[in-house]
Amino acid sequence: MRTLIVDDEMHVREELETLLSETGEYLVLGTCSNAIQALRAVKAMRPEVMFLDIHMPRVDGFQFLGMIDPERMPLVVFVTAYDEYALKAFEESALDYLLKPVQAERLARTTEKLKRFLREGSRPAYESPSLERIPCISGHGIKLVDVAEIDFVRSSESGVHLVTDKGEFLTELTLTVLEAKVPILARCHKQILVNLRQIDEITRQEASSLIRTRSGKLVPVSRRFLPQLKERLLIR
Amino acid sequence: MKLLFSLIQVASFFLFVAYAYCNSPMFRMRRLETASRQDLAVLYLFFSVISIGGTYLGLPVHGALANTRAIGPVLAGLVGGPYLGLAVGLTGGLHRYFYGGFTATACGVSTTVEGLLGGVVHLYLARRFGSERPLSPVTAFLTMMVAEALQMIIILLVARPFSDALQLVKVIAFPMIAANSAGAAIFMSILKDRRDLYDQVGAASTARALRIAGRTLGPLAKGFTPEVAPELAKIIQEETGVGAVAITDTQTVLAFVGIGSDHHKPGMALAAECHRAITQHDVLFMDGAHEPYHCGYSDQCTLGSVLVVPLQVDGEVIGTIKLFEPASKRFLSINRTLGEGLAHLLATQLLRARYQEQKNLLVLAELKLAHAQINPHFLFNSLTTIQAIMRRDANRARELLNHLSTFFRMNLKRSPEFSTLEEELTHVNAYLEIEKARFQEQLTVEIDVDPTMLQVKLPTFTLQPLLENAIKHGIADKLEPGSARIHAFWEDGAARIDVEDDAGTYFERKERGKDGLGLGIVEKRIRNLLKGESGLTVACDPHVRTCVSIRIPAEEARA
Repeated sequence: MRTLIVDDEMHVREELETLLSETGEYLVLGTCSNAIQALRAVKAMRPEVMFLDIHMPRVDGFQFLGMIDPERMPLVVFVTAYDEYALKAFEESALDYLLKPVQAERLARTTEKLKRFLREGSRPAYESPSLERIPCISGHGIKLVDVAEIDFVRSSESGVHLVTDKGEFLTELTLTVLEAKVPILARCHKQILVNLRQIDEITRQEASSLIRTRSGKLVPVSRRFLPQLKERLLIR
Repeated sequence: MKLLFSLIQVASFFLFVAYAYCNSPMFRMRRLETASRQDLAVLYLFFSVISIGGTYLGLPVHGALANTRAIGPVLAGLVGGPYLGLAVGLTGGLHRYFYGGFTATACGVSTTVEGLLGGVVHLYLARRFGSERPLSPVTAFLTMMVAEALQMIIILLVARPFSDALQLVKVIAFPMIAANSAGAAIFMSILKDRRDLYDQVGAASTARALRIAGRTLGPLAKGFTPEVAPELAKIIQEETGVGAVAITDTQTVLAFVGIGSDHHKPGMALAAECHRAITQHDVLFMDGAHEPYHCGYSDQCTLGSVLVVPLQVDGEVIGTIKLFEPASKRFLSINRTLGEGLAHLLATQLLRARYQEQKNLLVLAELKLAHAQINPHFLFNSLTTIQAIMRRDANRARELLNHLSTFFRMNLKRSPEFSTLEEELTHVNAYLEIEKARFQEQLTVEIDVDPTMLQVKLPTFTLQPLLENAIKHGIADKLEPGSARIHAFWEDGAARIDVEDDAGTYFERKERGKDGLGLGIVEKRIRNLLKGESGLTVACDPHVRTCVSIRIPAEEARA
């Protein structure tokens, strides 16, 4: 099974990698120490299975799940030390979980379960909270952009960009995920999501319409998405 | 002139009555504002008797009486206000009216008017200068003078035939005005002296009670124990000046100081009177006369009277306080009252000590709970790390296991209250070794401690929770490597310890309610140590640094 390991502690990653290799059932594609690295890895490597720590810096395991494109969502096994809150969440959405320190016998049961799921081709639905902050790449670091600050989101050849008053930020998240996980973002164009709270006015042109945001930016609206955009604006 | 002396003689008789009254248990001269109906009735009767007595003891002069009747109403007015003055005046006046003679009407009216005058003067002076002013001998003298002059005028106006009235007034005016005024002034000074004496005694015993309260507060904060008892007994004996003081619990004598301490020893079984006081939940007084007291331990004992006061806390008797006087000395009733009050006072203080103790226990329990909740997390994470390291470096894993056991042993075995900074640092180091192994190059910690501060006293479990907060909620939440710093130094004579991290997430985690049980408990315990003052402050520069500072004044830090 093509597998990704995500944990912020080096020793835990190493130990898990060893344990997984020993079973002979896993092909470990890589290890990541935080959610942002992992997001990129999921996109690039398309793992079938992911062993995921819950406590991670800035973006925790649950938030991270919400950022993954459902199309590429791997089977997830949570790995945690001890966490009541997390254990409660397992019962509802997770496929399985392992407690640290991980025991080989317990891992064997998980392996069987994973194999069965992959054979049957079924996918558990991971419920995850809506996103409030979007991780973006800024220079060498990571910036978490508050969704309220977004004017609109645009997708291009170079990637997905959040456009804000403070500039544009590149994110690993797809438009589909952002549309699904951020309630205030609505599709107005095939490649653009607009922040409903930032719309100042919509003006009609001959072929298409234009949105003016509160900060004066112009965003095109395609004819196809205009009806549903109007509907959402009237409802809200 | 002969008449004047005779009148003074009569007035002297009433002064004698006044003195006797003031020394009787009936005398309770309260402030008028707080006087009860009963108090007023007593005053009314007393002054009426004085007034009527004045008529009876009057000296016959030309078919009328030279008398001291007016002293009653005027003083009643001055002391008790217009209503009392009027009431006494009417009583004395009516009596005089029915007594007969050609001045009956005139004297009846004038006595009433004189009582009213005293009351009006009282009202005027009390409003103008405060309620103490009417009670001065000078006021009494002057008021009486005016009152008697008024009486003379009324006799002249009312009594008929006028020639007889004029004749009478000529004879009695001077002696009556002089004798009555002097009598009233002296009468008033007796009342006033007596009252001042009461006030002084009251003030002195209040001061004494307060002094005892102040001195016992410290020792009693430690509870009612055999160690505290001698100190307590000594304080009580010094302040009350009684022959001896004993303190007992419900079984044995805990402390004894004063006369007879050669054979009254701590540890002895309780005397019979103590058992009685304890079982009856009541104060027991053996004054040596009506109820003789004999020491049960020795025939040679010179103690002759005893007061046994049970000490009750929460309705339960936990011991007694005994005050003794030798047979040669009277047991002062003031000490008796004080002794009884003392038991109440000590009980209140003990209750407070108990409350304080329970509060401390509660904080401690909370601390233990917090540790029970945090430690499993830490334990499992540590075991995971050690498990991984074991594969490659068994020696390193062994070292880490040692640190882990040091850390947990210190959690279990330390004094629950206070530790030195040195002990706290040992605890922190064991913890840090493990965290460094977990986070590797992600975590660096600098420890910078002034070596003269190693013996500084802190509540146990202060430093480690602060560092754990900085790491767990600060540095561990950073994508980049992070660093923490413990810095201990003297600042203006106070011990200051800063725990700083470069994550600056304090506000964020507070918002998310993740500020850690640890910080709250550390704050509470330091507040306890500093008796309510807060010794913990947090400075946070978002995303740059969080610094938690503890400041403990040198007195507490060195104790």
